[in-house]
Amino acid sequence: MNYMPGTASLIEDIDKKHLVLLRDGRTLIGFLRSIDQFANLVLHQTVERIHVGTKYGDIPRGIFVVRGENVVLLGEIDLEKESDTPLQQVSIEEILEEQRVEQQTKLEAEKLKVQALKDRGLSIPRADTLDEY
Amino acid sequence: MFRYESLEDCPLDEDEDAFQGLGEEDEEIDQFNDDTFGSGAVDDDWQEAHERLAELEEKLPVTVNEQTGNGERDERDEMDLLGDHEENLAERLSKMVIENELEDPAIMRAVQTRPVLQPQPGSLNSSIWDGSEVLRRIRGPLLAQEMPTVSVLEYALPQRPPQGPEDDRDLSERALPRRSTSPIIGSPPVRAVPIGTPPKQMAVPSFNQQQILCPKPVHVRPPMPPRYPAPYGDRMSPNQLCSVPNSSLLGHPFPPGVPPVLSPLQRAQLLGGAQLQPGRMSPSQFARVPGFVGSPLAAMNPKLLQGRVGQMLPPAPGFRAFFSAPPPATPPPQQHPPGSGPHLQNLRSQAPLFRPDTTHLHPQHRRLLHQRQQQNRNQHRNLNGAGDRGSHRTSHQDHLRKDPYANLMLQREKDWVSKIQMMQLQSTDPYLDDFYYQNYFEKLEKLSAAEDMPGDGPKKERTKLITPQVARLEHAYKPVQFEGSLGKLTVSSVNNPRKMIDAVVTSRSEDDETKEKQVRDKRRKTLVIIEKTYSLLLDVEDYERRYLLSLEEERPALMDERKHKICSMYDNLRGKLPGQERPSDDHFIQIMCIRKGKRMVARILPFLSTEQAADILMTTARNLPFLIKKDAQDEVLPCLLSPFSLLLYHLPSVTVTSLLRQLMNLPQSAAAPAPSSPPLTAVLQNKFGLSLLLILLSRGEDLQSSDPTTESTQNNQWTEVMFMATRELLRIPQAALAKPISIPTNLVSLFSRYVDRQKLNLLETKLQLVQGIR
Repeated sequence: MNYMPGTASLIEDIDKKHLVLLRDGRTLIGFLRSIDQFANLVLHQTVERIHVGTKYGDIPRGIFVVRGENVVLLGEIDLEKESDTPLQQVSIEEILEEQRVEQQTKLEAEKLKVQALKDRGLSIPRADTLDEY
Repeated sequence: MFRYESLEDCPLDEDEDAFQGLGEEDEEIDQFNDDTFGSGAVDDDWQEAHERLAELEEKLPVTVNEQTGNGERDERDEMDLLGDHEENLAERLSKMVIENELEDPAIMRAVQTRPVLQPQPGSLNSSIWDGSEVLRRIRGPLLAQEMPTVSVLEYALPQRPPQGPEDDRDLSERALPRRSTSPIIGSPPVRAVPIGTPPKQMAVPSFNQQQILCPKPVHVRPPMPPRYPAPYGDRMSPNQLCSVPNSSLLGHPFPPGVPPVLSPLQRAQLLGGAQLQPGRMSPSQFARVPGFVGSPLAAMNPKLLQGRVGQMLPPAPGFRAFFSAPPPATPPPQQHPPGSGPHLQNLRSQAPLFRPDTTHLHPQHRRLLHQRQQQNRNQHRNLNGAGDRGSHRTSHQDHLRKDPYANLMLQREKDWVSKIQMMQLQSTDPYLDDFYYQNYFEKLEKLSAAEDMPGDGPKKERTKLITPQVARLEHAYKPVQFEGSLGKLTVSSVNNPRKMIDAVVTSRSEDDETKEKQVRDKRRKTLVIIEKTYSLLLDVEDYERRYLLSLEEERPALMDERKHKICSMYDNLRGKLPGQERPSDDHFIQIMCIRKGKRMVARILPFLSTEQAADILMTTARNLPFLIKKDAQDEVLPCLLSPFSLLLYHLPSVTVTSLLRQLMNLPQSAAAPAPSSPPLTAVLQNKFGLSLLLILLSRGEDLQSSDPTTESTQNNQWTEVMFMATRELLRIPQAALAKPISIPTNLVSLFSRYVDRQKLNLLETKLQLVQGIR
């Protein structure tokens, strides 16, 4: 029997494959095995999926216990449609390499930007997540 | 209770068992806990049990299942190991069964057929369950016996001699799985209670499906501990509040004396596994559940029977408050043996309606829920009956069917979590706490009622919504005190907070402040006043509902309160100055400059008396250009139009005339750009202003035409006003004219009396008074 339709209860999601996005940007895919009132999750046969461009790589991680406050969102994966994706799976080494390259280019672009701004006398304060004042 | 003395005793096993086992630990020591003080406390020698199982294993052939996919390779190895144990247990079970007093040849036959069945890792064994004849045969004698000897649960457990009269204790509590502990890495002590585990109700030997492959599930034995009454209520920590109102709602969850239906394991099975396999497990469970047609658990079975996909959450007994009604017409226990015959069919066919307790929900909401349930039921009935394998849902079922890790989270635990969530929804005043929900469903109800009206009559339930009101428990907090100690403990907690910041309010004198600060302070003061008045407004609006709920004696008091609040609202609006007439509009203007203030005034107007409201209207008209200017960004003034127009219908013509005059003779503000554009122009260029003017004119016209006995002075005034209005309207270019919100219908006749034809036409086109082609 369904619980109140208005609620966001994870109980009906148990034992189903989910994609979980964490606050640190990681994407986990696994079977949701257990929850609690804080939406802490227990993921089974978890795979960390790294996306770079149209490629992705899976790192098998086993069992994850995720503290609820670190979850940005999660959603059920339709097992039938799961393989129906334009993305291309690559090996772990390759994707990690791609990720590293991507991070590097991003850093360099950022550096250039900051430098350009500095030359013009502007400075954008970085939004630090810990700094709320 | 199956406990290990030390880590070394625990065999290496699946990790899945470990935390489930830990979950069984109770947080408090319960005096009546069998596990701690009763039979469960006895430790058994698992090694012995293991050896016995090993003997069994040799007898039964173990067939590897070819079905398992590649991904399950590693699991399969482990499963095989368990499978072997299953076979051992199966054999042991069969032995034990035979030892018992079962004389029914059907049982024997069933038992003996079991060795043939292959354990399929990752799936429940279907063969034995499919044969309804077998089941029927089993059913009879099983029903007769009150105490089945062995439960499926115990297959992997230390061997216990067949228990006779002790069986009415909770055998399942002893049937704990082997703990998964690793001597290398180490495991937490068995008795450690992880934080947040649901308190143990019945020890649930939470097995994976793979472990339940025992093909010889002769029966279920009643896992009913003697003190079954309200186990959840007593022991669920988050349920303290719940159990209070709930216990009155339901009777005893299970009629006393009736053997309990399912072992927790089977329940878990049912819910997790069997639900996906229509017709698989449930019939056997049904066999034992004759008396439970009405009970929620049993009532769940037909659903499961119908292969309901997805998690099913039957109400645990303690959770009943929210989801179950008292079991309808539970047949008496004596009915078991004779009634068991047709039962299976009945149960299969009629699917006793499981009515969750949804009294706290709005009737509309309840209906929605039931509809959904019906749909699901039908859906799965079709699925089951038709054996439709082509449906896409079955592939999902297959996936779940093969999932050996399903139901790691027990039903009990799911209920526990949802119970916590439901607790958060409890409230003493749902209209206060859950305003939007209540209103939404009321609206829906009204809509459907409106649709129903022509014809149906009271077909649908027109029950009044009764929410379970949790009595507000007043706790007088007493700080902890120790005897013999000097002074009190200074422990700060939620109930006894400590002051962290010493914030001192210092009021500044007027001289110190700069002009900007003064302006800002004034604005802040206005905002505060608006907030206070808004609270009053919300209270006043709520009084109607409170009347309905209150007793007769209380009503006059409520009325007085309401009046008082309305007065204070008005005072707030107009800026009450002690002992003075209200000389300045300033206060009101300040409020009207703020968007929220305007909306608030629009809401307050219906509650004010006519004089008060007229006063407000007059003030607004007096300061209209200024207000219009200030409203340029917000454009909220039009919200005032409707209450104003309502008000106008109650005003005498004198007032209307004076209002109009006010509009016409608007004082020229010092900052006006040019004398050639009177303030009226600004008014006309504004949507609200123009609409207000038109409404005033219309109302005036109504009054004039309807009341022939007006004084001549009034008439003159009116005519004067009309001339001015028409002159202005004609003067202003059409492009500059605003689009009024609504155009009163009698304006044509109004204007026709004061202007000639040509001008009338002009006016008409300007104001678009005439719809369509002339």
